[in-house]
Amino acid sequence: MKIKLFISLFFLSKLIFSQSQIDKKKYDSIKKYWLELAKKYEVWDPEPKKIEPGIYGSPPSDAIVLFNGNGFLKWHHSVTKEPVKWFLNDDKSMTVNEGSGSIETKLEHGSIQLHVEWKIPEKVKGEGQLRGNSGIYLQRRYEVQVLDSYNNRTYSNGQAASIYKQSMPLVNASRAPGKWQSYDIIFNEPSYDNNGNQIQAGTITIFHNGILVQNNFKIEGTTSFIGMHETSKNAFPLDGVKGGTHRSLLIQDHEGGGVSYRNIWMRKI
Amino acid sequence: MDIINLKSLTAPKYRIIFLAFFLLSKINAQKIESKEKKINDLEPEIVVPGNFSSPPSDAIVLFDGSNFSHWHHSKSKKPVRWILNNDKSFTIKPGTGYIETRKEHESVQLHIEWKSPIENKGEGQTRGNSGIFFQGRYEVQVLNSYQNSTYPDGQAGSIYKQYIPLVNSMRPTGEWQVYDIVFNAPKYNYSGDIIKPGSFTVFHNGVLIQNNVEIKSPTMSIEKDTRKTLMIQDHDKNGTVSYRNIWMRKI
Repeated sequence: MKIKLFISLFFLSKLIFSQSQIDKKKYDSIKKYWLELAKKYEVWDPEPKKIEPGIYGSPPSDAIVLFNGNGFLKWHHSVTKEPVKWFLNDDKSMTVNEGSGSIETKLEHGSIQLHVEWKIPEKVKGEGQLRGNSGIYLQRRYEVQVLDSYNNRTYSNGQAASIYKQSMPLVNASRAPGKWQSYDIIFNEPSYDNNGNQIQAGTITIFHNGILVQNNFKIEGTTSFIGMHETSKNAFPLDGVKGGTHRSLLIQDHEGGGVSYRNIWMRKI
Repeated sequence: MDIINLKSLTAPKYRIIFLAFFLLSKINAQKIESKEKKINDLEPEIVVPGNFSSPPSDAIVLFDGSNFSHWHHSKSKKPVRWILNNDKSFTIKPGTGYIETRKEHESVQLHIEWKSPIENKGEGQTRGNSGIFFQGRYEVQVLNSYQNSTYPDGQAGSIYKQYIPLVNSMRPTGEWQVYDIVFNAPKYNYSGDIIKPGSFTVFHNGVLIQNNVEIKSPTMSIEKDTRKTLMIQDHDKNGTVSYRNIWMRKI
């Protein structure tokens, strides 16, 4: 419980300080303290084995292309629902505009096969969770972590391709910063009874750069920084809007990010 | 339809008896037909796939074009007599028998590329038939399913006679096809009974076609000496299929 309290304190402080830009010193000291806590309490062992991946893929004919470089037509701001303010690049990719907020698809999804490519900035800044941090939230509830995990140690269940704080990847298939990486994800959504209670857990399978890193993992609940994982369909999805089984796909704007994305498509399954 | 014509039969007495017989036979035939139809109607949707991949650093490369050193004849354990091609692939020599890996395997991620023969000989199951057997017993079907109908639970990417692929993501005849397969081996107790069935996840040319399906039973009967190897089927004259770039990773 203590850990949870510290962690929530950290995020609360982050929220207050980063938004109002006051007392950066205090924020930094809390951040440092939190990192110490993470060192002490998060799961660091075992560390997933590191391997070199091969090359990967483009959208099949029945894919819903969510981003191909032509604009943010399928996306909006995850809270205000206003147009996306992230950067559109010349190489058919986009880059997170730090501090502008997370973005989500206008469309809501159920069980899907998802392909996403992402890249950590070549010039690395920060360490651990503050180096190239972003995330892909399935149905706004379940985060697949995006992070620079190439020579950048953090807690195992918070590294790239983890189901954040639930399941560490089977191996570390990360490529170096500046290189494009891919996730191929199978998401089977949970099923619920009429009251919105979960009757069957959802599952996630992930190939990171073509390598199996999550093998049909049974989702424990929503990705939450504060409090326990939740399993009801009314559970938070970050915007406080309750209800609805199908929710959007969200890409996180996280401090120390600067992550780029390209070639995003999904297929209903 | 035929019932109307039957009305032209003269004697009403016979008409009824005849009708009864006729209907009975019709019902029986329908039962059999509908059983076949049920499966045949579920033909997977066709999608055109994108491109795919090469072995990661921790892969066990089973075939890279140079030789058959990881393989032998599945019965005699003698060297493989299939044809080694110049383009880093091999082709089945029909009638020579199955080949298998020398080593057995447990749960794996497998990457394998295959190509149906260019000349379209035969139809249905006799067009480019082969198969990949996990642990010498569970078959992922290899078949030319490009514009070639067969029973869906026997088409390319099916878990043979158990699971129909979710979609048909075949490339045209003569092009290389890719399977990326996650095989979770069944778990056994000490007396050798399966306590947790195995499962398959299959991507065909990058498209999910088997979504963690639970394996029901071995595709063919297991004999005492059936080893848990990866086996490639020689379906005799029905399939001079080629293969290349085969690798697996223990998971």
